[in-house]
Amino acid sequence: MRTVNRLKAFIKKPHNIILVGLAVILAYLTLFPLFSLIRDTFIVHPSEIMSVKGAAVNDYTLFHWRKVFLDGERSAKLFYLPLWNTVQVSLYSSVIAIVLGGAVAWLVTRSNMRFKKFVSVVFIFPYIMPSWTLAMAWLNFFRNRLVGGAPGLFTALTGIATPNWFAYGMFPTSIVLGLHYSPFAYILIGGILRNMDANLEEAAMILKASRAKILARINLPIVMPAILSTFLLVFSSSMSAFAVPAFLGTPVRFQVLTTQLYRTLNGLNPGYGYIMAVVMIVIGTAILAANQWFVGKRKSFTTITGKSSNSSIVNLRKFRTPVSVVLLALVVAVAILPLATFAIESFIMAPGDYSAKNFTAQFWIGEGAEDIGGGEPGVLRNKYLYLALWNSLKLSVIVSLFAGTVGGLAGYAIVRGRGTKLASFVNNLAFFPYLLPSMAFGAIYLSMFAKPTLIIPSLYGSFALLVLVGTVKYLPFASRSGINAMLQLSGEIEEAGVILGIPWHKRMARIIFPIQKASFLSGYLLPFISCMRELALFVLLITPANRVITTLLFQYNEKGWNQWANAINLLIVAIVLIFNTVINKITGASIDKGIGT
Amino acid sequence: MPQIQLNNITKRFGKFVAVDKLNLVIGDGDFVTLLGPSGCGKTTTLRMIAGLETPTEGEIYIDGRLVFSSEKGIDIAPDKRDVGFLFQNYALWPHMTVYQNIAFGLENLKWPKDKIRARVSELLAMLKIVPFEKRYPSELSGGQQQRVAIARTLATGPKVLLLDEPLSNLDAKLRTEMRAELKRLHMETDSTFVYVTHDQLEAMTLSTAICLMKEGLLQQYEAPMKVYAGPSNAFVADFVGSPTINFVETSGNNVNLDEIKAEAPGMRLLFTPVSGSLTLRRDHPVAIGVRPENIRLGEPEGLSGRIYSTLPSGMETIVKIQVGDTQLTSVVFGSVDYPLDSPITVSFAGDACLLFDRETGEKLASGSVRIIP
Repeated sequence: MRTVNRLKAFIKKPHNIILVGLAVILAYLTLFPLFSLIRDTFIVHPSEIMSVKGAAVNDYTLFHWRKVFLDGERSAKLFYLPLWNTVQVSLYSSVIAIVLGGAVAWLVTRSNMRFKKFVSVVFIFPYIMPSWTLAMAWLNFFRNRLVGGAPGLFTALTGIATPNWFAYGMFPTSIVLGLHYSPFAYILIGGILRNMDANLEEAAMILKASRAKILARINLPIVMPAILSTFLLVFSSSMSAFAVPAFLGTPVRFQVLTTQLYRTLNGLNPGYGYIMAVVMIVIGTAILAANQWFVGKRKSFTTITGKSSNSSIVNLRKFRTPVSVVLLALVVAVAILPLATFAIESFIMAPGDYSAKNFTAQFWIGEGAEDIGGGEPGVLRNKYLYLALWNSLKLSVIVSLFAGTVGGLAGYAIVRGRGTKLASFVNNLAFFPYLLPSMAFGAIYLSMFAKPTLIIPSLYGSFALLVLVGTVKYLPFASRSGINAMLQLSGEIEEAGVILGIPWHKRMARIIFPIQKASFLSGYLLPFISCMRELALFVLLITPANRVITTLLFQYNEKGWNQWANAINLLIVAIVLIFNTVINKITGASIDKGIGT
Repeated sequence: MPQIQLNNITKRFGKFVAVDKLNLVIGDGDFVTLLGPSGCGKTTTLRMIAGLETPTEGEIYIDGRLVFSSEKGIDIAPDKRDVGFLFQNYALWPHMTVYQNIAFGLENLKWPKDKIRARVSELLAMLKIVPFEKRYPSELSGGQQQRVAIARTLATGPKVLLLDEPLSNLDAKLRTEMRAELKRLHMETDSTFVYVTHDQLEAMTLSTAICLMKEGLLQQYEAPMKVYAGPSNAFVADFVGSPTINFVETSGNNVNLDEIKAEAPGMRLLFTPVSGSLTLRRDHPVAIGVRPENIRLGEPEGLSGRIYSTLPSGMETIVKIQVGDTQLTSVVFGSVDYPLDSPITVSFAGDACLLFDRETGEKLASGSVRIIP
């Protein structure tokens, strides 16, 4: 009887029902793929029949593991070198992101820098824009004659040919990823700095600590947890970034794990790719565990409150103008200049020739001529483009609706059930997709849903598969927003409704959601934006009928149709920025609320 | 020796005037409280003395040295003013242990390690926090954090100690204990204390002088008992003392040379000034202020009233009595209980009753109040 009563009490609470439901569904959608991924590393796939001698499809084998890890020189080329490249790129880009983002965060929140408002708005752009935006801009600027095409703007303007190491490979990849993720660091570290009790600095100042010492001994240690979690996020994001190394690394055969993943999954040895995906997941999980261990060890750091006065704004004195101008120039170079290069590149006929007579609107509104790109019409007259754009929008809206709603509910249930094993299980499950490299995630879903499983019919080539994979992949963003929203809301607010006998759905709709509207809506905004600019996740799942705009861009780029690619990129950036701004203005939802400070 | 002098200090935040032409001299070794309701400018004043806030106008001297002057463009940085500051929320650095928190200021003074060790040990012992040396602030209770904050502030031996509502985050019992300790600390350290509080009891019990402020304006600056007995206006009289002073709102007329006759529903009173004679205009709106301890109950020939409520607390009992339109509060020693609405007589004792102008709030006189039968 007691068990029955306990069970009754358990299911009376809505958050328990949500938790149980999510635990089951998410286990199926994240853990099951993980097992299926691991299984895939041990079996023979159809395309591998030739290489694994005497085996039949679906036979168990250690062939892939042997080849990837133990095959001397070939393992080095296939796996160890790309792994080492990945680690280096992720490390460098994390450092760049943290140093740059942290510096800007400090300047904006704690100094009397000029142009604060402009900088704080525009500095976020690189994160809102697709990651390859900067990569393409880099190529537009600095490409050399290596790939046979025309050199970029930089060479055209100065006559200096860029060396390979500068134009392609590790160096630009690290820089571009670092710039792309520095808004992350800016938002996380800035949030802490903004909420940090100014008294902590004042106390040190009165005890005769110098400015530098306050920064080193007070500010830095206090933002350390934020720096660490930025490091975790940037490192694992860089590790699973595909587009940037694909754009910048390919010309010099600079391989990282994701590009190898794409080659092997798309090629003859998917088994290798699955192993690499497992390795990436293991690294990501290890970083996450390390971070949690570290943060847990010295908790209560980030919960710093107190009346903040703006009295501790540091006067930069004679550095004020130089610092402000340099930062302004940087922001313009990183966030605005790339767009200008897209515009320019999309209007010139023969690449590399920037003289006035070479400008044409052909690639925007042209009919399509036999001698240019196989008769492909300009983007604005291109029915494939409109189809892809429509697909992208449709997909992003649906994904954001699903992910935002599920994430909001997950946030509610996780916070309400805080402290229970079930809640932390669901919390981890909801965050887990973040650690799965997008492309590997796509690959698993491809193999999982290619044939009917349980009650789900075969989804291969269907739009539903894209929705499913997008929803699960972006759930971490939405659940973070939901958790943040709920943590800021005292439980008594809901309890006051419970006492009055207001049913749960009404409490959610009339009390909880309206109060934390901006935070919850941010949980819809992030998946939308991420989905609009996602490439790696969809690139393996796309069939011609449901092509989205990013895969279209990738195809044009692979074909070397530079002008179309630039034009489409400009369109994507414009759409994402406009959506972000409009949604932000109307609802107050914003990226930084979603990332959570 | 450290004397703090504020000349015509004004602080404006935009259009809002937080502190208005404040003149204040805090003597060496004083324990001065800046007292007032929230938003009266007391914390701003303290922060201006420390150099954490920049005054809009005026001059500040600490220990004879000009540390701020709006005219001469002097603004000495907080770290060069040789003051200690105790923050309301303690502002302990969360990532440092108790030891590191206390030692930080000494490190900045480039003390040798062994001397720092000795000094910190001394403070840990003095504030009775020796067992917590290696703990982080989050592992301490509010009272312990408070002691660490005091130790940190005292470590460098500042001659001027600025305290911003240091007890307001503690529970009532701890607050009483810490009050006693602060008073001892003042004696032992032989330094000048400037103490911000909105708690009049704290101000009364601790300080050598109270500086009472309201909306950025100085109301009165005197020793606590003088402020209590001779408030300069009705606001001060009302703010200081618990339970608060009784005001009988009447209109007054001069009678018999220097006496004032005051009438209100249910009472006819005669006020005899002891502070000198006083001329009122006809039916001048005045208020008679009587401290609760000066209201006597149950004596013959008193005003007749009814018991409104009785609040015994053991050592004393607060009795509220309704007389006509006026409600009076009296404090009676010991535990007494009156039935609600029972009749009782009320009379006024002593010559420390006060007469205020109801239009300006100014105190007009002090004296005794008799009841006209």
